[in-house]
Amino acid sequence: MSYIYNIIKADYLQRTRSYSFLITLAVTVFMAYSFVPPDTASYTTLSAAGYKGVCNSAWVGYVSGIMTTIMLSFYGFLLVNSGIKKDIDTEVGLIIATTPISNFKYLLSKQLSNYLVLLTIVGITFTVSIIVFFIRGSAYPFVLSNFIFPYLFFAIPALFVVASLAIVGEVFLPKRNILQFVLYFFLCGICMSSINKSGAQTNGVFDPFGLSLITKSITNYINIHFHESLNSVSFGFIFNGHKAYKPFVWEGINWTAAFIWSRLIWMCFGLGMVYVSSLFFHRFDFKQAAKAGGNRNQLIPTKREQPSHQFSRLDRETMPPLVVNFGIYPFIKTELLLLIRQGNKLIWWVNGALWLAMFIAPFGIAYSYLLPILLFLQVTRWSELVTKERTNRIHYFAYAAYKPLQRMLPSQILAAVILAIGLSFPVIIRAAIASDVYAIINIMNGTLLIILLAVTSGILSGGKKLFEVFFFLLTYAVINKVPATDYLGSIPQQNVTVFMLTVLTVNVVLITISFIARKYQIRNL
Amino acid sequence: MALTITNLTKHYNSQKTALTDCSITINKGVLGLLGPNGAGKSTLMKIIATISQPSAGALFLDGIDIVKKPDSIRKVLGYLPQDFGVYPNLNAYEFLAYIAAMKGVGGKGLHKRIELLLEGVNLTADAKRPIGSYSGGMKQRIGIAQALLNDPKVLIFDEPTVGLDPEERMRFRQLISNLAHDCIIILSSHIVSDIETIADEVAIMQDGKLLSHAPQHEIIKQADGRIFEVLLDNSVLNSFKNQYHVIDTARQLDQIKVRYIATNGNVAASSTSVTATLEDAYLFLTQNKG
Repeated sequence: MSYIYNIIKADYLQRTRSYSFLITLAVTVFMAYSFVPPDTASYTTLSAAGYKGVCNSAWVGYVSGIMTTIMLSFYGFLLVNSGIKKDIDTEVGLIIATTPISNFKYLLSKQLSNYLVLLTIVGITFTVSIIVFFIRGSAYPFVLSNFIFPYLFFAIPALFVVASLAIVGEVFLPKRNILQFVLYFFLCGICMSSINKSGAQTNGVFDPFGLSLITKSITNYINIHFHESLNSVSFGFIFNGHKAYKPFVWEGINWTAAFIWSRLIWMCFGLGMVYVSSLFFHRFDFKQAAKAGGNRNQLIPTKREQPSHQFSRLDRETMPPLVVNFGIYPFIKTELLLLIRQGNKLIWWVNGALWLAMFIAPFGIAYSYLLPILLFLQVTRWSELVTKERTNRIHYFAYAAYKPLQRMLPSQILAAVILAIGLSFPVIIRAAIASDVYAIINIMNGTLLIILLAVTSGILSGGKKLFEVFFFLLTYAVINKVPATDYLGSIPQQNVTVFMLTVLTVNVVLITISFIARKYQIRNL
Repeated sequence: MALTITNLTKHYNSQKTALTDCSITINKGVLGLLGPNGAGKSTLMKIIATISQPSAGALFLDGIDIVKKPDSIRKVLGYLPQDFGVYPNLNAYEFLAYIAAMKGVGGKGLHKRIELLLEGVNLTADAKRPIGSYSGGMKQRIGIAQALLNDPKVLIFDEPTVGLDPEERMRFRQLISNLAHDCIIILSSHIVSDIETIADEVAIMQDGKLLSHAPQHEIIKQADGRIFEVLLDNSVLNSFKNQYHVIDTARQLDQIKVRYIATNGNVAASSTSVTATLEDAYLFLTQNKG
């Protein structure tokens, strides 16, 4: 097993030794700090119909553990679902395929490496949760077990399943990232919706997050002590102004053997999924994979190369005269073509359906929900916008071309803006009909913000993951009506002009950073 | 047209120096760059291609400082890097049109230009297929085609024959010979025979330093009278290797024909002097000055 350990170690180090992971950790610290809001905050993360636990060890530890489980279950998938893809892109997979390692052991090593990455983040949120307890100046005693157990029985098993699902996604839906995301979030949505239902009778055994046990404990406590008839608790960032809560002293839950066994069974289920995936794993044999996927054209030459005797006949006399055109129109055209062709064609059917739905649905729904979702579905298009040169090793040509900074980067941004506006067109046209100029400006400003975030994070981190995870969290927050994240301006603002100017200023800052950073990169390969 | 490089130095960090005080003037024709891995060939080529900046020194193309004004060489540059990629979802035509946009090549003749280039590198039949499905040799030929798109006056080829089969290599060499009369071509290769066939001048590099730069026959001349062959028994081969720098061995019946460099007049008994080749001269120079 020592070589599996070495594979895991190498894979883990490869993933974590990057600026984007460092930034992810920084964001994690910030988020972990916000998991347990102070009493003065305008939001809460665990809401039980006007009741809120006092800031004791149980409340801080459990809320932090629950939020880590939920948030990391959502965006952790995005963070780790490219372990196998990396081996394909770097062609290390071809070397691995020729070694004696079995499919199961290889996939298991990838799964464990995924898990370690997630556990690293868990370790940070755990530490921050303890720090938060002391920062909040709680009058209650510090009980370490109230911090350890929620992480041990909620986060750790749930993330094992997430790490396994990332493997399943990569094996069964290779090169279909968006489809993986959509299916995964759909699955997560189902699991989240069951948190308030299944717990009462089953002690949360069938709940992959295990959080129904918390729901049951909190509702029981409130119902008994305050004579209420609650049957649900809400998790996540819930903004409600500075609403006053009735405090209650909650001391955590009693862990049952059945529940602990259920966590182990979920972990075994995760392991089982990896095993089943290994039976279908392509082992980097793309000829085989292409046959199975019916996508032969992409992967194997259809024709045998014919020898030619014309190579040497290429001379300048036969060429048409050279016409110089330093305009950026041909650039924009090709960048747009690359954006459109990126990813799976099936996504365009979903895009089309959402695009049409934005004409038909009530304006508020189209603006607040359908448009952010449609823009998020293009996440890999945006994230590859300025990273594809390096990913495909085109940057040598690109940076040695004439005025790369003044021509290439603007073309990429403009192509993305054209696509984003095209996708937003139904909402823009409806806003225009309603003479809602602010909405039009906000949409333009907001879509530009997303593009510039993709550009800046891509240039600075050199990868796609940072933006993908950030955009996912942003979309999640927008759909949950978190005011500060409303980049499209769909939530009515007190001062629209200030909002517009703020987004515009951020855009100017981002574009400046991206140009400065790219200028440096062009001359320092 | 002349490319003048003066006292070029490149440090990656305090520990690693890729180029040390390189000075060379390159005129029209083919300059072959030879040197072991890590000699600084690719770094030199990257600096000329403006994608890396020197730590010290200067580069002038016809008197224009290309470190300060990189766009002046970019307009006339064709560059084939050692480790380049392609956009797998584009076909060959689309990819070349994209590179043409980068290079600022357009007009009505662009379509015809791309067609001729694809024909020239024998990819017409595959031009409509995504490049992701191409073999290594086909990708290399796309790379060569893109380098020629803008009628470059300075052509930089870093290991251009990697992935090409012997027939393609031969055709590539002919292509370079055709282009050499009106532009500067800088070519690096580990395959000495490629350089030997097409280079007018040869520069030999080692450890970031320029060991020698001269017309090919003058480089070879430096090894004249130092290359010998001798027939040996297999049993004495190892001790012979300890005494002489062996270039090559070939089995001949029950004996081994050994080609070696004799330095300081130290010639083994029964040896025959042979005509030096570029490879011999390269090994002689890098061994002596390394």
